Amino acid sequence: MIDRIQDGPVIEAQGLTRIHGRGCPDCVRLTGDVHGRNVCPACGSVVAVAEVSFRLWPGEILGVMGESGSGKSSVVRLLHLDDRPSAGTVRFRESHGRAHDLASIDEAEARRLRDTRFGMVHQNPHLGLNFGVSAGGNIAERLLCCGERRFHAIREAALGLLDRTEVPRARIDHQPGQFSGGMQQRLQIARALAPNPELLLLDEVTTGLDLSVQARILDLILSIQRDLGVAMVVVTHDLGVVRLLAGRTMVLRHGRVVESGLTDQILEDPQHPYTQQLVMSAL
Amino acid sequence: MSALLIAGTAQRFGFLDDFAVREIRRGLLKALAVPGYQVPYASREMPIARGFGTGGMQITLAIATPLDRLKVIDQGADDSVNAVSLRRFITAACPGLATTTRTAEATLIQTRHRVPERALTAGQTMVYQVPYPDPLQIVEPSERKRRLAHAHGDYARLWVKLYEDVVRFREVSISNRYPARVAGRYVIDPSPIPRWDLPKLHRSPVAHLFGAGREKKLYAVPPFTDVEPLAFDDVPFAVEAFRDAAGARRRCARCGAGDTYLDQIPQPDGGDRWQCNDQDRCAERMEER
Ligand SMILES: Nc1ncnc2c1ncn2[C@@H]1O[C@H](COP(=O)(O)OP(=O)(O)OP(=O)(O)O)[C@@H](O)[C@H]1O
Ligand SMILES: [Mg+2]
Ligand SMILES: [Zn+2]
Repeated sequence: MIDRIQDGPVIEAQGLTRIHGRGCPDCVRLTGDVHGRNVCPACGSVVAVAEVSFRLWPGEILGVMGESGSGKSSVVRLLHLDDRPSAGTVRFRESHGRAHDLASIDEAEARRLRDTRFGMVHQNPHLGLNFGVSAGGNIAERLLCCGERRFHAIREAALGLLDRTEVPRARIDHQPGQFSGGMQQRLQIARALAPNPELLLLDEVTTGLDLSVQARILDLILSIQRDLGVAMVVVTHDLGVVRLLAGRTMVLRHGRVVESGLTDQILEDPQHPYTQQLVMSAL
Repeated sequence: MSALLIAGTAQRFGFLDDFAVREIRRGLLKALAVPGYQVPYASREMPIARGFGTGGMQITLAIATPLDRLKVIDQGADDSVNAVSLRRFITAACPGLATTTRTAEATLIQTRHRVPERALTAGQTMVYQVPYPDPLQIVEPSERKRRLAHAHGDYARLWVKLYEDVVRFREVSISNRYPARVAGRYVIDPSPIPRWDLPKLHRSPVAHLFGAGREKKLYAVPPFTDVEPLAFDDVPFAVEAFRDAAGARRRCARCGAGDTYLDQIPQPDGGDRWQCNDQDRCAERMEER
């Protein structure tokens, strides 16, 4: 563990800000938790996230919690290079030491990182899976993106990933449309894990599923952390999810971090009224 | 190629106005300079129905010179209704343009669905009529996303299609329009030629020019350029085998060739007759005998 910390964080975000719209010099000053809004009254731009700073260490699960519209998905989209920040920096360190500033990376390099270093799991399986191809094909696509050109190796790897995510091997040639909601999410996780990513981003992966189905997916995520040690960002509006998964948690409101620290501490002694209310209502 | 370089011969020759000729030639030069890249161009209205080979025809009309000898084939035949009417139109538009059915004698070969069996030689030019220019069309409906994928060399979705094919059929089942990577970079749809013909494009001594009239695209494989079918390392690309039940290579019932692409023709007695699809090559063989 000490060694790993000396290795430095996988992600180091500093002052991450994303403004949708023209923007003006007052956007950040006039929005946020103190003002109770994320729309700039001066220019009408949406300040989806502002001045968000955090670190993600190797093997760690960081929880990102907040109500609808608080900016959770915006943070994940910036990390996954689906979107670029208006201000701030994000350093991503590959395990062999090479560091990238994700804010200024070019599109070809962004694509390489997405294909080979990152894994993303969406709340909506239609965003994360290709419903026109089989489960195996969905996993194959990720391996093919990494340059794998041996059919039998792809097939073996796909079967291994289905085992890993508890999708029955016999379903490998079935299309995801025939899967239950829980199995679709597990397939998304299998697909995300295919290139052996160093960063796994999970955006509300259990939202809308039955409790027993949720529990199975949360267990799976824990076992992946235990066995693979991949760093993860888990987005949720569910206190129970961060309690179970995340060592540290960051609470967002109106695009700002209003509280962050060890999850246990936040749950025991919440500082921000919003978090206090959340914890109260969960008791 | 040589036809491309002869300037100033297009006036009042070839139906197209000077402006169209220049635009198509410019497009072809760009296509040759960036092998496999789909060059957009303003496809002209032609007095034949679109989808009837207007793209190939516009190329032929833009590059033909009075020094050329033209061969027009459709599915391996020089005398089908399509081939005859295309040839008639082109020769009417290009007075004095000589024609031939002999591959060996042709300098310019406009084709739909086949590459001649007889080896092509330097100085000849192949022109293909293309219905669908983009190999990614089967996996990506959005043209904008397809352009981006080509730009990034991202053919993963096409590979997934091959993966699914191998899962289902134990081999890649694509019988024609088999996707191929040109010069290690762009992947092309080689038009509906059978798999059999694809290896003929690899390091071929002639220029292969592709025109899609409806989709308004030109692309090219210059002479001596690598053309590699997409295939897994452990499931190699293979051409049609034409084997009988006993495993022997079928032969042409007319000329006896055992090394050509064969048509299967059902017979009244319930059996099949197999014969060369390339009629010119077949006739040539019979004369040789
Ligand atoms: N492309 C965009 N253009 C304008 N506003 C946007 C855009 N994307 C997001 N927003 C706004 O940014 C804010 C944060 O959105 P985000 O999707 O990050 O919230 P969230 O916390 O993920 O919410 P949810 O729990 O509903 O998924 C919202 O007010 C949203 O409307
Ligand atoms: Mg969201
Ligand atoms: Zn024959």
